Order: sequence, then C-alpha cells, then structure tokens
Amino acid sequence: MAATRGPASDPARRLSRRALVQGGLLTAAAAPFLAACGVRTHDYGELIIPAPNHPVKWPLSKRYTAIASGQKPKPGSVLRIYNYADYVSPRMLKDFESKWGVDIHLSTFNDADEALTKIAAESLGFDLYFPSYDSVGKLIQANLLRPVNQDYLTNADNLWDSFRDPWYDRGARYTIPYTIYSTGIGWRTDLADVDLTKYPNPFDVFWDTRFKGNMAILDDWHTAMAMVLMRDGINDINTTSSHALSRVRDELISLRSTMRPKVTITMYNDMPAGQYGLAQFWSGDAINMPYYLPKKVDVDVLRYWFPPNGVGEVDNDLCVCLGQGSNPVAAHYFMNAILDETSAGQNFGFTGYQPPLKQFTPSQLVKQGFVPANLATAIVQESDFEKGLPLLELPVTADTEYHEIWQEFKSGG
Amino acid sequence: MAEEIVTTAAAGSDDNEGGVGSPWFWRGLALPGTAWVLLFFVAPLYVVLAIIFGSIDPILRQPVPVWDPLHWDFSQFNYVMGRIFGSDAYFRPAVLRTIEYVAIASFLCLLIAYPVAYFTARFAGRWKGVILACLIAPFWISYMMRMLAWINLLQNDGLVNRALSAGGLFDVHEAWLSGHGSTVVLGLVYGYVPYMILPLFAGLDRAPVSMLEAARDLGASRWQTFWRVTWPLTRSAVVVSLLVTTLPMLGDYFTNDLLSGSPSTSMIGNLINNAVLTPGQTGQAGAFVLVILVISVLPMFLYVRSTRSGTDIAV
Repeated sequence: MAATRGPASDPARRLSRRALVQGGLLTAAAAPFLAACGVRTHDYGELIIPAPNHPVKWPLSKRYTAIASGQKPKPGSVLRIYNYADYVSPRMLKDFESKWGVDIHLSTFNDADEALTKIAAESLGFDLYFPSYDSVGKLIQANLLRPVNQDYLTNADNLWDSFRDPWYDRGARYTIPYTIYSTGIGWRTDLADVDLTKYPNPFDVFWDTRFKGNMAILDDWHTAMAMVLMRDGINDINTTSSHALSRVRDELISLRSTMRPKVTITMYNDMPAGQYGLAQFWSGDAINMPYYLPKKVDVDVLRYWFPPNGVGEVDNDLCVCLGQGSNPVAAHYFMNAILDETSAGQNFGFTGYQPPLKQFTPSQLVKQGFVPANLATAIVQESDFEKGLPLLELPVTADTEYHEIWQEFKSGG
Repeated sequence: MAEEIVTTAAAGSDDNEGGVGSPWFWRGLALPGTAWVLLFFVAPLYVVLAIIFGSIDPILRQPVPVWDPLHWDFSQFNYVMGRIFGSDAYFRPAVLRTIEYVAIASFLCLLIAYPVAYFTARFAGRWKGVILACLIAPFWISYMMRMLAWINLLQNDGLVNRALSAGGLFDVHEAWLSGHGSTVVLGLVYGYVPYMILPLFAGLDRAPVSMLEAARDLGASRWQTFWRVTWPLTRSAVVVSLLVTTLPMLGDYFTNDLLSGSPSTSMIGNLINNAVLTPGQTGQAGAFVLVILVISVLPMFLYVRSTRSGTDIAV
C-alpha cells in the first residue's frame, strides 16, 4: 500500500523517546514564563469567623468603595446576577427589567463552592451574588465585596428587627438577608410509614432499615454532618472536636452501608416523583414539593418535621454586591426590590424559600395558600433564630477534617 | 502502481524543494495536528499538573497553580495515591468499581453493537441509509434527556416495576434508582452504545466482500469465515469503538448521579466531580485525572499496537 511508504512510516521521522524527553524539558523550561500569567494570591492575616456569640463588624473595603447616593440605574445597562438555579422568580426579574429598563443576565451555580471558584477569578463581572453567611467572612476578607449604601434600601424597614443588624455583619455593611430556612425531615405518608415519636431521637429514622433504599440525605457536607451530630445529642453543629467528628464518620459509613441513601439536593423533585419516601429536607424545598407532586397524588401525603422545641438547624441566605460588577447602582435597586413585599411574595411563590419580612407571618402564609396546612411546620419564625443552630464557617483545620470525612463517605469506599 | 507514484515523489524530493516532494511539505502537514495537540492536550495537561502540585489559597480554599516544577508540592497527589494504594485506601473501591462497571458495560455494548453494525453493513441493502439514520438519531437527543427517560421507567411506580409485577400478579417494589450497580451499568450501556455502533459499522462496511467470498469458495463455513476473515479484518474497528466508548465511560459521573446518586456506586468520575466542587480538593481532582490517564494508556497502547500490526501486514 502506498500510504505505508509515506513520511509517517519513516523510522527517522517517528517521534523518538529522546524527542519526547526534549519536549518535556522544553515545557519545564517554559514554566517560569507561564508563571508570568500568575494567579492572584491573598495575604489575609488572621481568619475572622463570625458567630452569634461573636458578632463581627467588618471594616469598610479599601478596594471597593460604597456608591454615592441618589443615582438611578442606567437604562439599557446590564445587571449580572449570580444565583442558585431556580432560586429567583423569573417574573420578579422581568418586572425589574420593565421598571428600570435594565437588562438582567442571570447565571446559575449548583453549590457555593463552585460559585466561590468563579467569583474568586474576578473575571465574570457579576454584580450580585447570593451566598450563605458561612461564606461572607471569606468574601469580605478576600476583598471581593462592595459595601452597601443603605440610602438605597428604602424597604429595609420591612425586615424582621433581628435582621436589621445581624451578627454576621453588624451594621449590615455588606449584606441584606434574602431567604430563611430550617433543615428537618420530610416524608410522604403513602411511601414511608414514618412515626418519629417512636425513636429515642427522631434523626434515628435515617438509620431505620425499614427505609433502606427508600431515603435520601442532603448532598451538603455540613448540613448532613450536622444532622449526625444532632442525632448524637451534640448541638454544637460546628464542633471542632476530633472525637465527635470521628463518631460522625462512623455513623455516616454505617448509614451508607446499611441504608444505601441517595445523596442529592433534588429531593423537592425526587420525592414527589415517588423515587423515595423519606429524606433530609430544607424547609424551602418542603414548601415547594406540592408544585412537583403528580396530580393524582394528594398534597396531604407530604410531611415536614423540625424539632418542636426549636433547637434545630436554622439558617439564612444573603444577597451581596460584588466589587467586580460594573453596575452597582442597579444592583442596589435590585437589593431594595428583594425587600419589597410584592417582589418578595412573587419570589417566595416561585422558590418556596421564605423572606424574613414582617408581612409574611405563618398564619398569613397558610391563609394565602403559599404553604399547605400540613407543611406549616416548614414555616420559619423569627423566634426560631433565638434557639436555632446556625451552620458557621469553620477554621481551616476543622474544615479540612469535615471535608475529608464527607469525601470518604461519598467515595463509597 | 500507487507505490510507484510515491516512490517517484520521494525520489524527486531533492530536486523539488518546497514542493510536494520536499520534506518540509510533509512536516508542514503535521503542523495543524501538532498545534492542536499542543494547545488542547499538552498545555491543559500542564495546567492540571500545575494545579495538582500547586498550593491552596488559605481562605477561599481555591487552587493556586504553581507553574515552576522546582516548586511543586506533592502532598495532594500523595494524599490521593495513599488512599488508593495505601492502608487507608478508601478511594480504591471506587477505582475498582469503575473498572468493573466500565468493563461490563463495554462488553455489553460490544455484544449489542457488533451484530447491529454487522447486519447494517452486510444485509441492510437499500435500507442501510435508513438504519444508519436511526442509529444516529439518539445523538439528536441530549444524553441527560435519555437518562431522565430511564428515571421515569425505573422509579418505584415506574413501567419496569409494573411490567415485572405482571399486572399485579407479583409484588414488585424494587428500588432501581437507589444505589444499584446494575442500573448504573445499564445507563452506561444505553448511553454509549450508539458511539460504538458507528465505528464498528465503518470497519465492517470497509471489509472487502471479495475476501469473504473467497473464504466461502475455499470451503470455510459461515462461522469459520467470520472468525478467520471478518473478525481479524474488523479488529482495529473493535479496538477503536472500545476506545471511543471506554474512555468517556471512565470519566463519567453523570450517569451514576442520575440513576443512582448513592455513594455505594461512586465511580472515579464522581470522585473527580466531588473534589472539583470541594474547596481545597481541586488538586486531588487533578490527581484522579492522572489516574484515569494512566488507566487509559493501556487501551491506547493496544490500539497503537493493533494499527501498527495492521500497517505491517499491509506492507
């Protein structure tokens, strides 16, 4: 065949080992030049971790200054929003666009770690981001946020009083609260015969072999591990005790081998679809479940449990203005819209996650049909934050230890 | 005849500088491919190495690539290797599981794809075009949608359980979507089998019919003709089709996420995905990528050998 006599068949022209080594050495030699495209590293000093018993008033950023008061969004400008998927109402976005003539570009992420990676790159120009408060310290200390000019937040009076001056951001210099939620247990009475009163600790239900292959836990390392800690009677769900974490590890491994749980964050869709009957749940997802339930199934089969004494996991998400964005004025107007009763209602109706506004009382939420009566336990009240247990940012060593345990659990080894 | 042409071209190369016979012409032909490999393989691989052996931002826990090999830190790489080969080897089951799932799924794909490709190439006649179009049709539907369809079929009150219960005769409540390895293998087979059929069809269609006829004329049975003529002629196509399906399966995480979601069926792709999404573990994800690279070198080596032996035969 003629082709076999072409240059490729010439032994002298084949890629020799020597050529390969030479190529490798050349690449290594080019390394210092590649280093010129270097990545920005940070020198932060000591890591500050806010907590309810250790409130923090962050210094104002020197890198990004607050915008001047009295400005209006520029019509035709682009507002870039970075949020979880399905975590903001499209109608609310459309209304905002119509009202201010701004073009909103919504980008989504699946979890906070993924979001942080992209935000840290600082090249995508997002104006607004929706973190949990366990990332706020990192964002501020890495100089990624722009302080909020409170003059624009004319709806701030709607907020629950306890959220006007939160412990994670005294003076609300960088954040506004977005949604509130608890973490509990959800089930379908037609798929899982659950009676939480028969367990010494209600979280034992996740280890009840009657529900083997019929259950799921949240694919969120800290939330899932906090549940195991509470099962062990440890209410310090941010513990750095290696002994406690070692127990958590053993219980997670036992859970995996005996119960074959699904580890996911889509239980709001999976459970209504009948994939399993029992799951660890965020209250917002529980409230959203009826939307995904097949028409033939009665909403009445859905249940959500949160510790009746209020000692359970309660958290809130926030909205922050990123320094990298080019439209901070529109960003401030959007933040104010989040605190508006009507916009917040639209958003709640779509996401199922409750805004911490005075207008949304439990009785009203049930009466107005936002929440079915059998899921009223998923409504979060202001008093829940007095006894509730928040997930906090962890010191680096403990954070690594938590992550390693979760990694072992998820690797299926 | 063709040999003569090439020989002539080669002989004329000295007099024809810069022309078709010039060595620079042949080297020039390699330029686009070389640029492609450098840009889309060597450079990204170096970035992966710079991340594996790089450092971590102390607060954001993001990877900080270190470009200079003299300053590389091997702790992340050693961590992963220690958990695959060491005493605390909790990654090892996922690696072995991946090899097991991929081997079974590839074998099943071949079992399904070869007869289909054989039929299409040999017996489809004027329907060949229609059958080929049908074979390509799954590519028009996204992989995710095809997997989502299985979720509906396999869920507890889905069609599969209803069919198995034979109209209520048996009490079947199998939770197919809760950590069944067989479900993951099924998903892999279903997802990747079209990718195997096409290269197999190309190989079988190219095999000269005259050789098969010669074998039959010389008294070989149908089976002997297949085993001694068709199979050796299509061995390269089989290796290519296995590569085309096996390599993406090795890094697949999506099938397992959708059809199982349970850690008990985690594959290397899931370990990579989890590590990438976890602050401080991106370097580990890179180390897993290297593991996959090493595992995939073996079939690549087999492929290179098989094509080289094909060339040798041709010579």
